[in-house]
Amino acid sequence: MAEVRLNNITKRWDDFVAVDNQSLDIRDREFLVLLGPSGCGKTTTMRMIAGLEEPTDGEVWIGDNMVNDDLPKDRDVAMVFQNYGLYPHMSVFDNIAYPLKVRGTPKAETDARVKRAAEQVELTAFLDRKPRALSGGQRQRVALARAIVRTPKVFLMDEPLSNLDAKLRVSMRAELKHLSRELKITTIYVTHDQIEAMSLADRVAVMRDGVIQQLGTPDDIYNDPANMFVAGFIGSPAMNLIEGSIKDGQFVTADSTPLVAVGSRDRANVVLGIRADDIEIGDPGKGDLDVEIYSFENMGENTLLTAQLGQQRVIARGERHLRKEQGEVVSIWVNAAHTYLFDNETGIRIRGDDDA
Amino acid sequence: MKDNTLKYLLVMPAVLVVFATAIWPLIESLRLSFTVGRLNRPGSLDQYLGWENYSWAMLYEPAFWNSVQVTAIYTVVTVGLTTLLALGLAMLLVPGGRLRSGVQTLLILPFAMSPALIGVSFRFMFNPEFGLFDAFFGVLIPPLADVSWLANPTLAFSVCVMADVWGWIPFLTLVLIGGLASIPRDTIEAAQVDGAGGWRVFRDVTLPQLLPVLAVVIILKSIFSLKTFDQIYMLTNGGPGTATQTLSHYIYFNGMKYGQIGYASSVAWLMVIPMIFLTYAYAKFVFRKR
Amino acid sequence: MTGKQKKKLMNAIQVTLILIAIFIMLVPILWIFLAAFKNHIDVFQLKLLFTPTLENFKSVFAPPYYLGRKLVNSTIVALVTVLIAIPAATTAAYAFSRFRMVGETAMLVTVLATQFVPAVVIILPFFVMFRDLGLLDTRLGLIIVNLAIVMPFAIWMIKGFIDGIPIDTEEAAMVDGSSRVQVIRNIVLPMAAPGLLTAGIFCFIISWNEFLFALILTNRDSVTLPIGLALFKAEEGDLWNLLSAAGIIIMVPMFILALIIRNYFVQGMTMGAVR
Repeated sequence: MAEVRLNNITKRWDDFVAVDNQSLDIRDREFLVLLGPSGCGKTTTMRMIAGLEEPTDGEVWIGDNMVNDDLPKDRDVAMVFQNYGLYPHMSVFDNIAYPLKVRGTPKAETDARVKRAAEQVELTAFLDRKPRALSGGQRQRVALARAIVRTPKVFLMDEPLSNLDAKLRVSMRAELKHLSRELKITTIYVTHDQIEAMSLADRVAVMRDGVIQQLGTPDDIYNDPANMFVAGFIGSPAMNLIEGSIKDGQFVTADSTPLVAVGSRDRANVVLGIRADDIEIGDPGKGDLDVEIYSFENMGENTLLTAQLGQQRVIARGERHLRKEQGEVVSIWVNAAHTYLFDNETGIRIRGDDDA
Repeated sequence: MKDNTLKYLLVMPAVLVVFATAIWPLIESLRLSFTVGRLNRPGSLDQYLGWENYSWAMLYEPAFWNSVQVTAIYTVVTVGLTTLLALGLAMLLVPGGRLRSGVQTLLILPFAMSPALIGVSFRFMFNPEFGLFDAFFGVLIPPLADVSWLANPTLAFSVCVMADVWGWIPFLTLVLIGGLASIPRDTIEAAQVDGAGGWRVFRDVTLPQLLPVLAVVIILKSIFSLKTFDQIYMLTNGGPGTATQTLSHYIYFNGMKYGQIGYASSVAWLMVIPMIFLTYAYAKFVFRKR
Repeated sequence: MTGKQKKKLMNAIQVTLILIAIFIMLVPILWIFLAAFKNHIDVFQLKLLFTPTLENFKSVFAPPYYLGRKLVNSTIVALVTVLIAIPAATTAAYAFSRFRMVGETAMLVTVLATQFVPAVVIILPFFVMFRDLGLLDTRLGLIIVNLAIVMPFAIWMIKGFIDGIPIDTEEAAMVDGSSRVQVIRNIVLPMAAPGLLTAGIFCFIISWNEFLFALILTNRDSVTLPIGLALFKAEEGDLWNLLSAAGIIIMVPMFILALIIRNYFVQGMTMGAVR
């Protein structure tokens, strides 16, 4: 009932194309994350769903209605803004109550619903305060409460966590996830933080320069990236992308060092993707290849080792008790089962059976 | 040289100028207000009569109260009209685009026109024979077609108001545009998504946030309205009769035309009273913590 | 009507209202422009089409109006006022901005207050004093009273600009060995130059348009342009064509100056209460 469909949506300002003929189907009650770097078009897309921007082309459907001509107030959506958009001159109570007040909801009902929403975000003690007397995290929760006080068809969230400090972000993320599972309303969430995307989403749409690069579950995006951009964007640290070519069933780096076996025909101009977790570190001479350490980082929970591979560098994750020095030589194994191949020119993933 | 001595040296020239040109005359004019002060009677400038000038003005002089009334009505009407119209124009211009920046530049031009010139211009426009506005209003409101605007007390007053409003709208509009632009856009968008239509958004979200700037605008305009002289002088010269004689004009008339500078000074100082309140209010906005 | 159609209608109404507003704002100015080029018969009629003439501009500079002399007076008075006010204001503004001074708030409040006191309050003592000192009807006298108006304004505006210049560069220079005076000369002045220019232009415009003081304190020799307007009354009625020509001469230089400082316009006029 509350699905959202975007059919061939385009948004153009003079010469600049923010969203380029994209289509997307969001299922009822799904938590969909629009993920991408600044300027990729994710916020513009969401604003077109909200009605704050008009598509240059294409249709926006919410439920059974095509809403292109509808004002935001008639679309029955609720939105949480990046800077919260709280009404500075109203108390927290009045802020949360505003969507109900504007629709003429009777006072008793408004009271009850505001109190319930405040409970859900743990703000009951702050109902009389004004926004300027609240911390960042508290303001964010007011914005959330204001969104959940109604039961709209769709929730829209525009980078709601990006203005919070790191620790708060982690705890708010858990709260958001908990709430969204409880409320079961279709949610569209915009972020540039891939950790948020992985943790919160049912499905993720990775965007770049106005085009959706891949649409899939967090699993799909992480383990089965469709192109180099997605592969490099998801995961921390970023996936190693090594330039080279394929000869005789082996991937050979650009400096002609054979690295690992791949089941593909010979090809030039290829990029091998391998995650830091899938490179093992050992004493010199024991593994596939010996490399010199460019830098060693002790992260506490694990260690990261950046090694010089000819002209390129790779990162490997070591276990937390590993200790190495800069300049030391170690050997590495590349786990052949977890490699990815990409065409260096187009960036598209080369899949194993594509041997034509 | 040490900073300590330097800083007083730096300030000295300006302080001297301000003292000589502003502070001293203020004190002297206060002194004069207690004297007989006839321009054509030498020695009268040192003849003291206590509060007599003040009591004469307030108790026995209907012309004084007339100018108080004229000034009060003039101020209230011009401030109200100008603020409302400027707010309307600012709301129209805020959405932006190419039209807006062009118009903003145009709005600066009337500032360069001195009030005296505006007075002259409006006197021209309301001339009964060839005035453009006179003809325009004659067409719009037929009963006014044969009337000489500047000869009728009420109409002359309204011409003065029109000239004032015309002259100040551009400036107030620019200030209000600045104020409106500083309202965070997401509070407005949040209200739109929350379900508020155009008028409600304005009333519930825009206006409350605009209040500080609006207050500055109203105080500033009140001060300017109270002081108004140049325009009135060139438009109606206080007439017909004394229908448009504001306090400034009354003071000028009594001081320079009748030579009663003692009396005129006392009226001038009576005029300072509302100014003190307004200045205090304005200072609060200028010195407020950000 | 759908939301989108309503929006387009609103848009059209808004543009129309804006155009009407612009029209009303410009009509008096345009009308004066037209009148300045009309001969003395055409100006007494409501005509849009006419044969333009430059006669008016010639006449206003000739006897008995001598607008040329008034133009010179206005220019000299405004220019000298600015040349005295700006340097004095700048040094004072720097001191107020960078140093903590005794009675600073009091001084600043006084500066603010002098802006709001009606000119009529201080004009009468000036008249008496100038009469006794023989300064009536002199340019020097006008310069003195214009300084009264312009000085506090200049201090306030320039202080605002200097406040906006980061103090780091000065401190770095002083650590490197410059004296305070050198810092002011070599660092602050160049950086504040646009602000000084803006304040100067503002003060020039205020002085140029100043009316009340010139009205009272001048008679014949030192009459400035705005007062010159009063001369165009004749028995048959005001000479509107000449008046308009004079009006243009007063207005146009100010238009040009105002355009130069347009970015600082609002800030200057509200003395920083609104940015």
